[in-house]
Amino acid sequence: MTVVSPRSDQHVAVDDRARGDRAAVRRERATTVALLAGSTLALAAFGWPLVATAVPADAQRAAPFVAFAVLPAVIAVVLAALDRQMHSAKAVALLGVLAAIGAGIRIAGAGVGGIEAVFVLLILAGRAFGARFGFLLGMLTIAVSSVLWGGIGPWTPFQMFACAWVAAGAGLLPAIRPRAATVAAVRRATALEIAMLAGYGVVAAYAFGLVMNLWFWPFALGMGTDISYDGAAPIGENLASFALYSLVTSTLTWDTVRAVTTVIGIALIGPAVLASLRRAKLPSQRRATRRP
Amino acid sequence: MRYRAAPLRAAAIVAAVFVVSRVAYRMVFGGAAGGGVLLLDVPRVPLEGPFAHIALFGPITSGGIWNAAVSALPFAAVILAFGVLNALIDVQRLFVLGATRGPIRAVSRALVIAWATAPALAQSVRRMRRAAALRGERGPAALLVPVFEHTVERALALAASMEVRGFAASARPTADVERPVRCAAASLDQGGAWRLDDVDFELAPGSLTIVSGATGSGKSSLLDAMSGLFQHFEGGRQDGSMEIGGLDRRRFPPRETAGFVGVVAQQVRLSFVAETVHDEIGFALTTQGVDAAHIDERVRQTADDLGIARLLDRQVTALSAGEATLVAIAAALVSRPALLLVDEPLAELDTAARELVCEVLDRVAHESGTCVVVAEHRTAEWQRIADTWLEIDGGRVTIGDAPMLPPTPASTSASTAAGDDRAVTERSHPLVSVQGLDARHGDTVAVRDARFTLRAGELVAITGANGAGKSSLLSAMAVPDAPSGITIDGVDVASLDPAARRRAITLVPEQFDDLFFSTTVAAECHRADRRNRPSTPTAQTLAALLGRDLGEGLLLRHPRDLSAGERLCLAIAIQLAPSPAALLVDEPARGLDASARRLVGDALVTVARDGRVVLFATHDREFAARFASRELTIVRGAVAPAPRTTAEVIA
Repeated sequence: MTVVSPRSDQHVAVDDRARGDRAAVRRERATTVALLAGSTLALAAFGWPLVATAVPADAQRAAPFVAFAVLPAVIAVVLAALDRQMHSAKAVALLGVLAAIGAGIRIAGAGVGGIEAVFVLLILAGRAFGARFGFLLGMLTIAVSSVLWGGIGPWTPFQMFACAWVAAGAGLLPAIRPRAATVAAVRRATALEIAMLAGYGVVAAYAFGLVMNLWFWPFALGMGTDISYDGAAPIGENLASFALYSLVTSTLTWDTVRAVTTVIGIALIGPAVLASLRRAKLPSQRRATRRP
Repeated sequence: MRYRAAPLRAAAIVAAVFVVSRVAYRMVFGGAAGGGVLLLDVPRVPLEGPFAHIALFGPITSGGIWNAAVSALPFAAVILAFGVLNALIDVQRLFVLGATRGPIRAVSRALVIAWATAPALAQSVRRMRRAAALRGERGPAALLVPVFEHTVERALALAASMEVRGFAASARPTADVERPVRCAAASLDQGGAWRLDDVDFELAPGSLTIVSGATGSGKSSLLDAMSGLFQHFEGGRQDGSMEIGGLDRRRFPPRETAGFVGVVAQQVRLSFVAETVHDEIGFALTTQGVDAAHIDERVRQTADDLGIARLLDRQVTALSAGEATLVAIAAALVSRPALLLVDEPLAELDTAARELVCEVLDRVAHESGTCVVVAEHRTAEWQRIADTWLEIDGGRVTIGDAPMLPPTPASTSASTAAGDDRAVTERSHPLVSVQGLDARHGDTVAVRDARFTLRAGELVAITGANGAGKSSLLSAMAVPDAPSGITIDGVDVASLDPAARRRAITLVPEQFDDLFFSTTVAAECHRADRRNRPSTPTAQTLAALLGRDLGEGLLLRHPRDLSAGERLCLAIAIQLAPSPAALLVDEPARGLDASARRLVGDALVTVARDGRVVLFATHDREFAARFASRELTIVRGAVAPAPRTTAEVIA
């Protein structure tokens, strides 16, 4: 072994790490850009009935096909971008087991009509492990459950994105920390966090219903009803038709059941599941520690 | 190609629902008119405001319904087409393929783990139901969190085990067998929670090294750092230089050095990947793409070397603790690693199995020239065969000589007390009477016609080898089938309802962590108090068992984050909440270091002094001799008094 003084050895290590960290930061930024761009594109695909009214009449006919084709491509790009960030085998394992549990919940819930308890898991995991992890988890949960149940269809990419947003959104909510390390302060902070997540759960449940209705609305009705999508009509009229469609289709029924399930689920098992997820500790993707 | 009917059936139902709902929408939102017979003439109801362009209902005709249904057919056909695809394509195969190459390797690996976890979910539900019954918890809601935690724990162990055995490795760099381990000025940092400095040593091929240190000192983390799990799985940080086979440990994840480094995890059963012993041993070769005939040959050879060829067709769930350890060692050795890392192999084993494992590792190191590193707090067994001793103490690693054997347990205050109590208890009346108790697993009889009595205030040990029937006996006593043959204070335990039974007798099972249902020690104690309303709050019982004040710090900790000794004391405190006349504890000394054994032993003495009957099962004669006032033995399901009483042994 060559003799090196411990000091120089340390310097090499520090430089090495700094270089590694800079590369990691660059990769992380690239992923953020990919995620934001992908989400914007996906949102446009969801809203194709409204977007299509803005394009020339010739292009309108192609709009649904573009939306259907674009989404899987966006998913592939986003997954590839996030995949490079999954450095640690533990993060991969956590993602896998949570996706399996989520799929189990979703399939078990399919028999009970609309009681989509899977939102509880998505919101809690997104909260504990952050937006990126949540995004991936939302996508994989739908993928695994669809494959297991044999329910892959044109709706699958839309469900994947909508669930990814639900879980990622929970990761973007503000942090709540106890003021002091006492039993009372911790209990108060937990209650506040659970209340916030339950509120988010209600918003997410209805928003999920709305976006899922939006892309499917023209297909569900076809032409010829008064609330049918009409590419030639002004956007205000289409919005009003969509609002009524959404109200009778899911907002009053499925979405409300989903919102109630989510609130009850988060209130009942939220504190415990959050605690155990945080105990499992997702390894940090960047090894950076602040240097003095 | 394969065919599954379910997805096609589901698609057909979805397609039908789609067509029906389109017809329904047309009827409600004025679109079911047109040709044919007029079926129902509903007046149109126009809406107002922003909805002025919409009118509800209107005439419904047969032609209108027909048109609506036909217009839905193209999309319904798309749904059916996907159903056909789902029925024919085996997507799981694609996941495994994607895990080794392509741009979404990590995601595919996550999906494979998702698949492998599914059976664990069902298994943990079974385990937790039993724990809930022992603790007197009811309802599925209480089970959700423990099942969740257990499943996550199993998935992480599984993933680590697959990782160290080369699953989804994309490269296999060549390593230098002459330099298995070389650490220079390395340090390990687990995000502030734990830190180890001065990691500075070199290990030679053909040597056996023992890493010793107290529980929680970081023996496992040091082993993980050598296997790469610390850096690449746990997300810990390593500075300085650590070379495994001449390769920088920070650069190469464990899966890429799998052929060079063999790993035997601490909880071997949690990390089993396959269903049968044969597949478990062959897993590392399967991940390398070795052909089946070669795998079979190597598996048989490795099993022969370790003397476990007769186990090859067994299910991994049907192995005893000793067998499971040997299978895990075989699974690590099958790819002929130059470095073998073994984490606390002796913790769960009885004397015979311990000797066997020591002998096997001795041979692996000194005959096959492998560099073997064992983390172990029990040092006595290794005195004769170890070449190097690394000791972790106070966050530092020191290379030392063989540690002095701890002096044979002198009579501490606790054990003397137990001895004194013996004189008292011999005069008290028998409280627990077991008359002809049987316990069976399916067709096999685990315990046959057990007969003994226990007196109030007695601390009794029941000793026996792994698989002798200790756990079965305790289970049969705590949750007896009718008619059982166990009476407490003259009452047949089998005739009691669960709540009354728990006031008579409770059991702390071998996997005592299963009893934890909450996320803080405070909540755990509160839960026990709410269910049982004891005269002494559970937190106070716990403080008495630990022999110190709890403080907010400990009350706020997660039960599973406590040290092993503290966790067992918490489990005992929980099971004391119904104030049972008798407390049973299964393997209290398992895997504990010297100070934790003292803590737990003293806690058991404290419980017995309160006038309860305490019976514990152990394969550890030394622990039994030190703390019990009397000893029973069990040999192949037959219970008998131990040849000599403990007091005589100590004297």
